[in-house]
Amino acid sequence: MRIFLLFLLCAAFAGCNHFEFSPNQTFDRISLKDVNATNLKRLGDGANDDTVTFVLTGDSQKSRDETVKFCKAVNAIKGIDFVVLAGDITEFGVLKEMLWISRTLEDLHAPYVAVIGNHDETARGKETFLHMFGELNYSFVYGGIKFVCHDSNSREYNFNGQVPNIPWLKNELKPSPGIKGFVGISHVPVNSEDFDSKLIKDYTTTFAQTPGFLASLNAHTHNYDLFYPDDSGIPYVITSAMANKEFLVVQIVNNKISFERVYF
Amino acid sequence: MREYIFKFRFVFLLLVASSAKVSAQSFKFLIPDQAIVQYAGSIGYFSGGVGYELFGNKKGNLDLLYGFVPGSKGGVLNIATAKFGYKPWTIKLKEWGKIYPFNPAIFATYTFHKELSFKFPSGQYAHDYYYWSEALRPHLAFSSEIELDAKKLLKNTGIRAIGLYIEANTNDFYLINYLQNTSALTVTDIFQLGIGMRVKF
Repeated sequence: MRIFLLFLLCAAFAGCNHFEFSPNQTFDRISLKDVNATNLKRLGDGANDDTVTFVLTGDSQKSRDETVKFCKAVNAIKGIDFVVLAGDITEFGVLKEMLWISRTLEDLHAPYVAVIGNHDETARGKETFLHMFGELNYSFVYGGIKFVCHDSNSREYNFNGQVPNIPWLKNELKPSPGIKGFVGISHVPVNSEDFDSKLIKDYTTTFAQTPGFLASLNAHTHNYDLFYPDDSGIPYVITSAMANKEFLVVQIVNNKISFERVYF
Repeated sequence: MREYIFKFRFVFLLLVASSAKVSAQSFKFLIPDQAIVQYAGSIGYFSGGVGYELFGNKKGNLDLLYGFVPGSKGGVLNIATAKFGYKPWTIKLKEWGKIYPFNPAIFATYTFHKELSFKFPSGQYAHDYYYWSEALRPHLAFSSEIELDAKKLLKNTGIRAIGLYIEANTNDFYLINYLQNTSALTVTDIFQLGIGMRVKF
């Protein structure tokens, strides 16, 4: 009888995905793949959308309970086209954390995309992110606005001068038909000590020289901030961390960008 | 002084080694009591190693294991594990076996991979920038084991018993996540399973 029970227990466990090989494995039998691409396909190009409205949040890290509340708060707002999670999705850069957070974010009515943060690059996080969410540098167009999402976690590369990837950014920010404006999104803001000081000038100049560049959106510091690193008039905006129960609603109408701090 | 102690130890070891009879006695504790194979359980796709029964009552167990995760399963990872377990309760099953229903254990894993460091490099990060080790992971585990008496079943093989076990483990990463988010995460989220077999000599 007891053996039978033990056997039954084993069979029950075998049915679920609980046989882990290592916390450091980059994928498992049922882990998600290409979340960003899948969600962007769902988002579409918003060709007929003249009011682009999206949520900017970041640093979900260990704040899973808050993320549940965040989803409810975002779902209660009408007209949100998409949600951007601007890095530090995880604390330790492991697969399970990425899976847990996306399980919660699946409750969002609007599609979401993730941008890589410095914590997500610890351990085998980069490889795990690549597999589960997609490229570390990528862009998408919605409502005539090009969103250029990129890796600005310079310290994780020991300030090798390659991150953020300026040539890639320059290429992405070239004018092209059908694109009215540009928005840069990355985790580490340019005024942080974790940003490669050698690249600050080149980075801000690249943005300043791009016609129609609307804003640089970041996270990382856990507190809301708005600053202007140069005299281009381009706003650099930092969203508060998930743990602080605050996010930003960003709206772009007629190539004018506005920000609203929302508390939940 | 340290050098002196070292020399003394060396001489002592020589003395011990020179007497074959004594050395056979002294080093007998190095011969393992068990051979172990395990599937999953956060220490490899498959892992194998040796086990030592500890204490007079043999309720303690020290397992030393090596595990491997191939690239096709989310690796490539090489993992070394040292596990200390304790079997506080035993249920006897007539002549042919025993059940150890609930055995707590702690274990440490060290994962060998170029992206995993023992300590974040101090030149790159301030002292408390990241507070954990990527390669060294402490785990907490609970297992259930059924032990089949092999003396009658497998005569003259030298095998005393065969134990089959299922183990649930968690680690510091998962515990921190759980303790700070008890509504979004459940205990079953953070505990991961493995099954294994111990051949006891």
